[in-house]
Amino acid sequence: MTDEKSVEKSVMIIGAGLAGSECAWQLARRGIHVRLHEMKPDKRTPAHVTADFAELCCSNSLRGESLSNAVGLLKEEMRRLNSLILSCADETRVNAGGALAVDRHAFSRLVTEKIRNCENIEIIPGEVIKIPENQENLDNNINNIIIATGPLTSDALADDLKNLLGADFDLSFYDAAAPLIAFDSIDMNHAWMGSRYNKGAADYINCPMDEAQYLEFVNALATAQEAEVHGFEDKKVFEGCMPVEVMARRGLDT
Amino acid sequence: MGFQTHLKFPEQKRVFSMIPALQNAEFLRYGVMHRNTFLNSPKLLDRYYRLKSNLSISFAGQITGVEGYVESAASGLLVGIETARRLLGQAPVNFPAETAIGALALYISNPSITAFQPMNINYGIMPVLEKRIRGKREKNEAISRRGLDILDKLNV
Repeated sequence: MTDEKSVEKSVMIIGAGLAGSECAWQLARRGIHVRLHEMKPDKRTPAHVTADFAELCCSNSLRGESLSNAVGLLKEEMRRLNSLILSCADETRVNAGGALAVDRHAFSRLVTEKIRNCENIEIIPGEVIKIPENQENLDNNINNIIIATGPLTSDALADDLKNLLGADFDLSFYDAAAPLIAFDSIDMNHAWMGSRYNKGAADYINCPMDEAQYLEFVNALATAQEAEVHGFEDKKVFEGCMPVEVMARRGLDT
Repeated sequence: MGFQTHLKFPEQKRVFSMIPALQNAEFLRYGVMHRNTFLNSPKLLDRYYRLKSNLSISFAGQITGVEGYVESAASGLLVGIETARRLLGQAPVNFPAETAIGALALYISNPSITAFQPMNINYGIMPVLEKRIRGKREKNEAISRRGLDILDKLNV
């Protein structure tokens, strides 16, 4: 390998999430050698559970499919641009009305398998804690560095990026991931399958409560103890991904 | 479950088990809350998600302030294509704002944006149609058709 490296152009990608995996694929299929660095499974973030690439942490939905919807357009464009993520999503899709939802484990496994089997992609396990300096890159024949470390960039790399970028790196907000429940532990005598907004197939489990149960539930939710999150005192939550207890405190009809 | 929470784990079990169907629910994972980090991209990045102060470094995914799975992958896709073309000595594609993938990159790197917040793809960051079309659905579909026609003619 060392003998050949003088002619080879290589791109370093940090992070094998949705962006890093897609980026690596696009480079590789155009004949560019990629060194893809991924810190999992040695080091995980608060939201990551598996060792697979392109893990879906929040929901299993890639949102609407219709071309009257901007995210539907974006997905169709990506299909036409030979997107790895879209082809894996299409292959592992599950029924979800008008949305493109996937079997999250099958999806991530498929992305991982395709990346691992791609001959132009070299996977380098372990956390990157520092962006290599320019001279160092040239010595290793790295022509470009692509940082795709996600919203949960590790502390060490975040510190290095702060040195590189100053205060413009410091933007942030707080986000939360949903609990997951085992399907066979749900009492279906008290629940039914339904579609969302009466659109599409009945793929959602509805767990009803009567009024008294609901009032008691909202009250318990609003007064339950929150876990401590470092720095959360500034309460910057993203409106589209709001914790349910914050909603409960905003009132009964939220 | 279709919501987020950052209650303490025993509290999640106690409160959510009050829902009749979930009396004996087994939690595979509890909800967690975390800090999301993103760049002030309009100041730092160009339309190829490259760092203006060091063109050999690019960013992709949610760290750039694109919001959502599809948007993350889309930014990685654009960075992959444009980086490969540069290394191969080819001209950039320069995805225009009429395409969703281009509109997102141009929004993220628009230096006139202040108080930058993470952004989902939406028709509001794409140019309006030249012709007036009645009905939101029809209008949106026309914008999508325009985007796909333009995309198909690009030299990618």
